[in-house]
Amino acid sequence: MATVTNWIDHLSASEVAGQVYPMVGSEMWWVLAGIIFWLAFTVSTANGEAEEQEKLARKRHGANDYKNNIAEW
Amino acid sequence: MDDQLTALTTIFTEFYYWMTVVLMFLIHVGFCMYEVGASRYKHHQHTLMKNTLLIPLVTVTWFFFGWWIYWAFPTGPGIAPSIMTESTGLVLGGGFGANELANPTNALMAVNLGDHIMGVFWAAFLLFSWTAASIVSGAVIERITTFAFGIMAIAIGSVFWSIDASWGWHFDGWMLKILGYHDAYASGVIHAICGGFALGILAVLGPRIGKFSSSGEPRNIGPRNPWLVCIGLFLIYTGFWGFYAACNIPIFDLGPEYGMEGVTYFTATNIYVTPTTLSGITMNFLLSLAGGLLAGYWISKGDPFWTYSGGLAGIIAASAGNDLYHPMQSLIIAGVGTAIAYKLHYWVERTFKIDDAVGAVAVHGYAGVVGLVICGFVLWGYPSSGYGVGSMWVGTDYAPINPLGMIIGAIIMFGVLGFLPGWILAKILHGMGKLRIPRDVELAGLDYNIMEQAQKDERAVASSNR
Repeated sequence: MATVTNWIDHLSASEVAGQVYPMVGSEMWWVLAGIIFWLAFTVSTANGEAEEQEKLARKRHGANDYKNNIAEW
Repeated sequence: MDDQLTALTTIFTEFYYWMTVVLMFLIHVGFCMYEVGASRYKHHQHTLMKNTLLIPLVTVTWFFFGWWIYWAFPTGPGIAPSIMTESTGLVLGGGFGANELANPTNALMAVNLGDHIMGVFWAAFLLFSWTAASIVSGAVIERITTFAFGIMAIAIGSVFWSIDASWGWHFDGWMLKILGYHDAYASGVIHAICGGFALGILAVLGPRIGKFSSSGEPRNIGPRNPWLVCIGLFLIYTGFWGFYAACNIPIFDLGPEYGMEGVTYFTATNIYVTPTTLSGITMNFLLSLAGGLLAGYWISKGDPFWTYSGGLAGIIAASAGNDLYHPMQSLIIAGVGTAIAYKLHYWVERTFKIDDAVGAVAVHGYAGVVGLVICGFVLWGYPSSGYGVGSMWVGTDYAPINPLGMIIGAIIMFGVLGFLPGWILAKILHGMGKLRIPRDVELAGLDYNIMEQAQKDERAVASSNR
């Protein structure tokens, strides 16, 4: 897993390798995982928002009803 | 890095950009305060969440493709040849010229002992991207869905502004070569495009309920908390210092860069790698802020909202040429830009029934366009690049700055890459029924459920204490 196991050996090499993060070579998989995370967030929150707003709209509150809900703590 | 001069310039540049990122974070803090202050009580929390969410959404997409777009399309593609050739040492590999550099799987897009600049430069541009999305955010408060805003934020923050920066804010950009475009501190590439994009959305989104009377007369809504708005704008000014700094390369030897044999000339440069001084732009920044504040106060008859907004509009109007202007030129240009933006805001509001809740289209869009046009006249004849001088339209070299090129540039920024994509995307989302929140939700307030729950919690806690 570790790309560097000894800094002295790493930095005294005739050509110092720049990449020091773990699992060098697997970048594509990490980027794909990030894209999946982003898309899952988008789909899930979009559905949740629409559902919540439909429910609220059905209650047909007036423009000033929120004033009854102002908490004072 | 094995010699002291290289190490010093590299680590200094790395730290310089790192500091600009920290400073620019204040722009976003300011925008959040500003928007919440401008929104009504029943929409506060959703307004804040909408603007906060653009941070992660634009960040991840900027990593995936936004930064890649900037490096991939300076030549159009296919509009003007690239100067990034083997002989200049600027070939970076990949399809459209330089796209390998910013590919998210590239070795440089991570901790890399062989590179100290990519990450901080990426981050500085990312903070510009947040600003781009945040400019749009304020205009559409209280009625856009968070989903639709997320799509819009990604579109402007990670796609369209990145394209315009690639074309007109890159040392190899085709707009410099063909048109002689010059926009040192982003009057057009950030502000005009975002103003145009916001206007495109607003044309489809429509006004807030109650904004216009049945006879079409506009009514004033808010700001609910003018002090939060003013502090927010002060923070945006503060972050703008970081923005100005981030638009420069702090130390660069232009001698070898321009191919001048035996010449060493260390200086700060703008984004086009032409010389300027941080000292000079500091004066210009402050004088353009002053010009905007004076004009805003004067024309709005002392209204705090427009006085503060005027300061911002003034900086934006002078930004295109603030790397070269005299401070008094910055002052006057800022005043003129602010006055035009203010007048246009109310004319567009009345004529087209556009409800721009925070005046973002005026402050960023109109002031940005005015700044570009004026820059074309005031800097007429200056080279748009240090890499060469040629004629307009030819494209094999760099055209000088000129009024026609700057007017066309303003149309590209505000209209072609701003208004048009905003309008088309809004139409698509509107067609899907995803653009605007339901009318009953807008009336009740986006925070209705949160507020109702908070009051239930309050009662429960109070009753447990009896």
